[in-house]
Amino acid sequence: MAGISTKTVHEIFQTMEYGSSSSSTATAQSWLEKHSRTLGFFIDGKFSSPADRQTQNVTDSKGVVCSTVCAKDEDVASAASSAAGGFKTWSELSCYQRAKVFLKLASVLQRHSQCVSELCELSQSSTSPAALIRLAQYYASWAQLRDTLMPEWTPQGVVAVVVSDDCSVYFLLLKVLPALSMGNVVIVVPGKSTTLPALLLAQLFMEAGIPAGVFNVVTGSEASLAAKVAQNPQVNYLTYSGCKQTGEAVAKATAGWGVPMTLSLSHNSVCPFIIFDSADLDSAVDGVIELAFKKKRDFQWVLFVQESVMDSVVARLKLRMAGMKCVSLVTETDRKLIDVVVQEAQQQGATLIQPCSPPSTGGLYPPTVLCGLAPSCESVISPPPGPVLPLISFRSSAEGVTLGNHSPHGQAASIWTEDLTLALESAKSLCLGSVWVNCHSVMDPALPLCGRRESGNCTDGGREGLYQFLRPSLSPSLPRSSPSSINYAAFGSAESKFMIPEGFDPSSVPRFYSQLVGGQLRKADSGCSRSVLAPGGAVLAHCPDGGRKDVRNAVEAAIKVQPGWIKKSPATRSQSLYSLAASLDKRRRDMAVSIQTQTGISFEEAEKEVELSISRLSDWAARCDKEQGGTPFPPQSGSALSTPEALGVLGVILPSSKPLLSLVSLLGAAVAMGNAVVMVPSEKYPLPALEFIQVLQASDIPAGLVSIITGGRDQLTQALANHSVIQSIWYWGSKEGCQFLQYSCISPLKRLWLHCEEEEEKEAGQNWACSNPSLQEELWRKAVVWKSIWIPTA
Amino acid sequence: MSARNPVMHLDLEWVSKVRVNTQAVLKRAQQIQGCKVAKKQWQAAWLLKAVTCIDLTTLAGDDTPSNVHRLCMKAAQPIRHDLLKSMDMHDKGITTAAVCVYPSRVADAVKSLKAANSSLPVASVATGFPAGQTPLKTRLEEVQMAVKDGASEIDIVINRTLALTGQWAALYDEIRQFREACGDAHMKTILAVGELGTFTNVYKASLVSMMAGSDFIKTSTGKESVNATYPVAIVMVRAIRDYYLRTGHKVGFKPAGGIRTAQESVVWLTLMKEELGDEWLSPYLFRLGASSLLTDIERQIYHYVTGRYPAYHELPMA
Repeated sequence: MAGISTKTVHEIFQTMEYGSSSSSTATAQSWLEKHSRTLGFFIDGKFSSPADRQTQNVTDSKGVVCSTVCAKDEDVASAASSAAGGFKTWSELSCYQRAKVFLKLASVLQRHSQCVSELCELSQSSTSPAALIRLAQYYASWAQLRDTLMPEWTPQGVVAVVVSDDCSVYFLLLKVLPALSMGNVVIVVPGKSTTLPALLLAQLFMEAGIPAGVFNVVTGSEASLAAKVAQNPQVNYLTYSGCKQTGEAVAKATAGWGVPMTLSLSHNSVCPFIIFDSADLDSAVDGVIELAFKKKRDFQWVLFVQESVMDSVVARLKLRMAGMKCVSLVTETDRKLIDVVVQEAQQQGATLIQPCSPPSTGGLYPPTVLCGLAPSCESVISPPPGPVLPLISFRSSAEGVTLGNHSPHGQAASIWTEDLTLALESAKSLCLGSVWVNCHSVMDPALPLCGRRESGNCTDGGREGLYQFLRPSLSPSLPRSSPSSINYAAFGSAESKFMIPEGFDPSSVPRFYSQLVGGQLRKADSGCSRSVLAPGGAVLAHCPDGGRKDVRNAVEAAIKVQPGWIKKSPATRSQSLYSLAASLDKRRRDMAVSIQTQTGISFEEAEKEVELSISRLSDWAARCDKEQGGTPFPPQSGSALSTPEALGVLGVILPSSKPLLSLVSLLGAAVAMGNAVVMVPSEKYPLPALEFIQVLQASDIPAGLVSIITGGRDQLTQALANHSVIQSIWYWGSKEGCQFLQYSCISPLKRLWLHCEEEEEKEAGQNWACSNPSLQEELWRKAVVWKSIWIPTA
Repeated sequence: MSARNPVMHLDLEWVSKVRVNTQAVLKRAQQIQGCKVAKKQWQAAWLLKAVTCIDLTTLAGDDTPSNVHRLCMKAAQPIRHDLLKSMDMHDKGITTAAVCVYPSRVADAVKSLKAANSSLPVASVATGFPAGQTPLKTRLEEVQMAVKDGASEIDIVINRTLALTGQWAALYDEIRQFREACGDAHMKTILAVGELGTFTNVYKASLVSMMAGSDFIKTSTGKESVNATYPVAIVMVRAIRDYYLRTGHKVGFKPAGGIRTAQESVVWLTLMKEELGDEWLSPYLFRLGASSLLTDIERQIYHYVTGRYPAYHELPMA
């Protein structure tokens, strides 16, 4: 540094360098000093650092900044009981009183913005305080409006918010604030870069007047600590934000504890940056320069450039990058990764754009663009850390979108074109959560972030993102359980058995039903079948004993027909569902009989269930063209859209209560929102579903959109879990099944909606007959993903 | 000066493909305004660089030989000698880039500078400045007169009527004729961006001006209601970059009008550095058209050297 400060005016006059403006961290340092550079947990409204705990050091480039304490079981327990106490106080407050805390928080953040930004800087996760203030203000109004706009919904209770080491404070608060605004209390398990800011925020929350116990922070090693928190019976919901590895570890460790869990895995998401030939190339290149060569990026990017403007883009990149300096890497090990990737890319014929050649060793690397790559190159599949950007060319705009879609990730894309039609068409065809047109990385709580595929299974931000922290007041809260020891590899692998001749009286040979796979009546692929028993134990019928191959065939058919189903106008979809309701109406007697024989209830009751089912299907038919997105107010001038889109193919393991009504409720929601669905009737009561196949076949629902496969629940659950095309599983079944799904649906990631039937039955379970709007809203919200499109204008 | 931009043929296909996204340009302008130059000697060095790029200008109805003479003297010695000396910059040839006057005052300026043994170039506005609404014949004569009187740089204004109605070929022909009339004098073409309507038009007009042989393109006359703004400058320097990438010729840029503070001059330099690179940070490729800017820069330098803020009377006036 001494060398720089002695530069003379004349030297600078000749080189015209900016000079380094070192930012001060004095305010943050003095806050840390005040806490003697040791920070404990934040529980029940105060800092506590119990003796004889392990400590962890938070370091920056100059050494140890502060030490924090690793929580033990009893600390988690005291955090949980503090949270339970806090929940009582917090939920007794009025919406206005909660909103006031948020507004106060915004002004407290404003007052201490210097300290907040310095502490974030120290923790290597620089965040602009203005963005945090915007979050506080945005959620203040949701806190105010909860009872007005969501009257039939209740908070989940105690929410554990877990983030990974590299997650930024913004993403942490994007979980914490909506949770609190809906009346939940939180236990935060921060990662390395959010530990200090989270503890500072805890103090600021207190200053803003939040009751003790509402915002708790426990620190330690996040994956194992998160598991401990989730296992605590007071915790009702766990939500995670950050990188995939930690998320996976947390999910596996919490499987079987009966805590619903969602993940936002934006951090490792590979996002396409697509430059069409109709783009303002200079502005697009500006965008690339701005986002690709930062020390820390929110997403990984791959650059796609249309062939006809490839040379122009490369020339501009070269010119703009010429003066750029090396960027410091987050860790020294990143350097090795980069070297390997760059070398491999060069061997495959890639050319490099670099302002200078990389220093031989160390934690610095020049901004680098790898030109001439193909989607099969390793550096495109998993882009390396650091300032390295892969570049791929494409021929037509349609091919650009196809390339952008061809990825296991589904977080966001930035597309550049001055052609309005092309922009909207591409935005529609891209299968991901956020599309930024002629801009990039716009973060605002009004625009929902909803990762697809491997990028997450929940929605954050917007009204859409609030529902993860709520449940319909009428639906029971989930009972807690403790995990059993399951051999995950062997789950659902029991062999099907062939029937043996049993010498029936020829006059009473039970009927043999077929299952519906891809629109056709089929036997099981294995050829095996199983008996359907009446409540008394008598054999009522035989049905196919379906397995993995049947699920595969059903999914194959579903992906062929589902795109066509979405393309149909909502009005056409609505007509198809009305025809299904009409077809059910025609067979109401047969259906009632099958419900009666299967479940043993009276004929009148069975008829009532059929009647309700017809009306439920009509409800969904009516909703087809009514549930739509909105136009959120964007952060700057321009237009924003938030639209619900179909998930794709859903797997449903049906409950045994109200076998017909539950089937049509779930089928209606899934199909009305544009999905295809593979349904597995309950093992206990499959008969009404088998009978329903005829209703389906007599309706206008396209063949293959709905498949009904009977068989062993565990076998079919396993088969659904192991098919990557299936984006979501709704499950009613055993505790072990829930545990298995939580454990195995992490990779590939699915959206799960799990119900442990045995436990629920004790508490009356889901009331299918109830037609409260919140229950239907819950259903359709489970059947969609959200896409936000943001088109800024001047 | 660097190699001149030769006249190119008019490439209308190139002009027609121009696309500019306004909001992205505005965003970029904000970003550039956010770039910070370090304090102390960095500020001083950058401000001195700005001084060397100034076309010190007087364009008023009441200009007479005496105030033009004062302007020339200030241009030759823009910063107090003792201040420069304390920074060890007194012998580094710190002068403004040129003086800029009306055609009728060119002779006065040339005379003053010659008397003071200064080789500073004299620039003259011409071609019916500022509106350009005089017949082509008189506009051409004006250029020839100024050159004859000793101006080595001519700031011409384009015919906005042609640009607004999309008559790019006609505009190209006019500018080519001006270029011929300039002879060896360097030609700066004023686009009067405040009157061109859209960024796309600004970009197209920039391209056509460069094809017709402009050595510099300049934002405004200082007489329109909208003068040099950062967003519009970004559009123009992008056109310069585009032109350089295609033809290999470097064209200079001159913002003018409304540039008054030292801070603004630093932003202008930043904009050039960010968009075009260090090469454009010299009077050969960058000029600032200004009159009162110099006083503010001198004040800031006074403050850097002495730690005090001066009263106006402590600095020599122009």
